[in-house]
Amino acid sequence: MRNLIRTELFKIFKQRKTFYAIAAVFVLEAFIMVSAYFQGREFLDVFLENLRESFEFQGNLLNGNLIIYLVLNSFWFHIPLILMIVVSGFLTGEYKDRTVEAVLLQPVSKQQYIISKYIAALVFTAFILGILILSTFLLSYLFFGKGDLVVFLEGLSFYNSTEAFNRLMIAFLVGSLTMFFYAVVSITLAVLFQEATVTWIVAALFLIGTTLLLRLEFDSKWVNSLFFPKLTDSWQYVFFSEIPFRTILNKSLVLIAYTGLIAWIGIRVFQKRDIT
Amino acid sequence: MILDARDVCKTYGSLEVLKGVSLSLNRSEICGLIGPNGAGKSTLFRILLGLVSRDSGTLEIHSEASKPLGGIIEKPALYGYLSAFENLRVFSRIQGLELNRADIESQLLQVGLSPLRKDPVRHFSMGMKQRLGLAIALLNEPECVILDEPFSGLDPMGIRTLQDEIRELAKSRGIGILISSHNLVELGDLCDRLYVINQGEIVREGPAREILQQAARSYLLYGTGLESSTTLAKADIEQRTGSIVLHLEEDSIHIIIQRLSAEPGVILTACVPQTNLTALFEKTPE
Repeated sequence: MRNLIRTELFKIFKQRKTFYAIAAVFVLEAFIMVSAYFQGREFLDVFLENLRESFEFQGNLLNGNLIIYLVLNSFWFHIPLILMIVVSGFLTGEYKDRTVEAVLLQPVSKQQYIISKYIAALVFTAFILGILILSTFLLSYLFFGKGDLVVFLEGLSFYNSTEAFNRLMIAFLVGSLTMFFYAVVSITLAVLFQEATVTWIVAALFLIGTTLLLRLEFDSKWVNSLFFPKLTDSWQYVFFSEIPFRTILNKSLVLIAYTGLIAWIGIRVFQKRDIT
Repeated sequence: MILDARDVCKTYGSLEVLKGVSLSLNRSEICGLIGPNGAGKSTLFRILLGLVSRDSGTLEIHSEASKPLGGIIEKPALYGYLSAFENLRVFSRIQGLELNRADIESQLLQVGLSPLRKDPVRHFSMGMKQRLGLAIALLNEPECVILDEPFSGLDPMGIRTLQDEIRELAKSRGIGILISSHNLVELGDLCDRLYVINQGEIVREGPAREILQQAARSYLLYGTGLESSTTLAKADIEQRTGSIVLHLEEDSIHIIIQRLSAEPGVILTACVPQTNLTALFEKTPE
């Protein structure tokens, strides 16, 4: 199994498309950061206008921490979109080139092969997230400096620079679970549809659908805590004045369970299906 | 015997692709499977190689090897963005073989590929891809190799080279080789035994020479004085530039050859059997 995962990662980083994807992620990150800067200015103008008449603000509120927070808001749609396209390509490319067949002509079980694909997809996602988190923090602090973070969720909340950094890191880690979920969904969709374009369309549809459903408010507490689109925004809770760790943990566990279930479906279908 | 398939059936929806196919292969034997396009050759090979499940029937592989069967289905499937060396390394590593540089280079040399080529295999000719595919199939020393249409896309020189390599594998390494083609010429002088498959059924089987003989209904004759031969004057012939096509209803070519040899002024230099594919693919009467 270790050999399979090693070769999967070797193949991923030998393909030109992987580097195009990484470049695309960075370009997107740059766009998001620029738009975050303007969004930040607007946000501060709108929300703090009245407060400025009554309070005196010291330091620059349009700092690296606010930029990172705004980048976080945009990350969870744009980056998964690229990620899903790239990750599904790890398998659809093999179907297209018939290398799935060539691999399974060797003494390799279907189960081992597909599990190695899922693991490689998770490792690749972790790698992308790692460089994204690192570059977001570095660039934001480099260009905009550190400072207190002001966010508007249930109301306006202010966090000092150290606390802001900690909350942003936790938010990134919690949000990463959503990214892993999408990576697993991508491989399962590739198993189901095999053909690259169809898989991309379905993956995009899935992502758009999830994002739209996330915005809907359901009356049922169960729907809100078990319906998977409602689980993809747990990172937002990190910016409540009192972090509801229990809610975050519950939502994260359910999301992990969904991730496992979707991977299991993909593995079962792959095992059962003929390689033609 | 290394491979023994009995009464293998496969259906896709309402389409019966294989109808009780039985086939066997011995070590060191080259066995051919010939049939028109869509006869079920690739499906049968996919079943033998474990890529496709069978609806019914039995499949026995008598081998203790960690990889009993190696194979190529249709065109060799390779990682186009990797070099030949890297392809071999990937395929060896996934099955737990830790081959060093020298081992991989020796595998490449065995199939006539230069280890010095570092470019991606998408730049390779079909012949080179076939040879690399064969090297991959031979990794981990399988006791049987299944090759589906290995000659397609090869030039005559490439076909000859591959045929020689296949003979060598069977002879020197004792590997049983099952090979399919829709081209009789490619299989005729390569195989020890032939199976003929049509519409999902094995319609003939036996020694290759015998099968070809049974289906030969005409012969291409080359020589001098054939046009004025009295023997051929009574036969059903067709004049062609530089040759004569002799049509025979019965298997009596040896008599014709004897008579032509005895006829003054006639020198027969070659007699090439022309297989009638319709006759070959017809089911043998029970």
